[in-house]
Amino acid sequence: MTNPGMQNEVTAQQGHPEIEREIVRVSADYLPSPKEFHHNYQDETVVETVRIDAMTFFGVKDFQDRNIHKFFLEFESRVLENTSQTLEQLLGRHRRSAHFNLIERVTQGGGSNASELSKR
Amino acid sequence: MPASYPSVEKWVIAAGIFRRTLDGVRPSGRSGKEAGAFWLGRREATAHICAVVLPHGIGVEEQRGRWAVSPEVFSAITRWAKPRNFVLLAIVHTHVRGVPPILSWTDRNLGVRVPGMLSAVIGNGGGDSDHRRWGWYVFENEDYRSLSEQEIRARIQIDPASECEVWTADASAVQAVRT
Repeated sequence: MTNPGMQNEVTAQQGHPEIEREIVRVSADYLPSPKEFHHNYQDETVVETVRIDAMTFFGVKDFQDRNIHKFFLEFESRVLENTSQTLEQLLGRHRRSAHFNLIERVTQGGGSNASELSKR
Repeated sequence: MPASYPSVEKWVIAAGIFRRTLDGVRPSGRSGKEAGAFWLGRREATAHICAVVLPHGIGVEEQRGRWAVSPEVFSAITRWAKPRNFVLLAIVHTHVRGVPPILSWTDRNLGVRVPGMLSAVIGNGGGDSDHRRWGWYVFENEDYRSLSEQEIRARIQIDPASECEVWTADASAVQAVRT
């Protein structure tokens, strides 16, 4: 979560120049909702943070019943499996906006990542 | 209801949606497999359903007791729908002959689970033309609830005057069906 006013500013602290993090304007869609998720993030924000925020906005969550239900962000037709990467790593240094689609993947039965998911 | 899902009081469905859905699912039904369709339109207090997407091909699983659509197909539909201001309003699928049009555990739990989502089950592999004989459900309070006959009459309305769009989808793209 960032303050858009910090964008691209350079400050000096204790004699060392410090470049403030860049801001990335993020939006996300989920097919059943007419609303669009919008938020500004610092580019060092990991994709997982965006995923969680988008899931919260759209009122969905990962869970496990007989199957494993997990939501993913899709970016430019690619499902983002690595949610520990930062927006900067995903987008490159100069891109300042990104649009994602939220999608659900259901894996039948248990799986290796079952422990990551909350039980409903 | 969360702000992301405006409340829906009734669904107005272009008449052609029913016919084109049945046309789309019956070939699989005749071969003893389930099939389905996504209905899209505008989500408002009176939601207008004006497009049917018939998933078929790569990323779509049609079997005797199972109809499943991969996340990649869902993605393709999302990329196509959002610029058109379409949202997913209903999921319709068939049960094969001899299986009642009632949502199974799998149907309830593998489908889209957001408030106001409509789900309909067509019996006899798509052979039941009369939508009043279908099973109708709406997602409320964390589960799908069956609509009563009275609710179906009050909340599901057919608009013979509205145009409908028909599309197919697979994991790679959504394409218009030529009539």
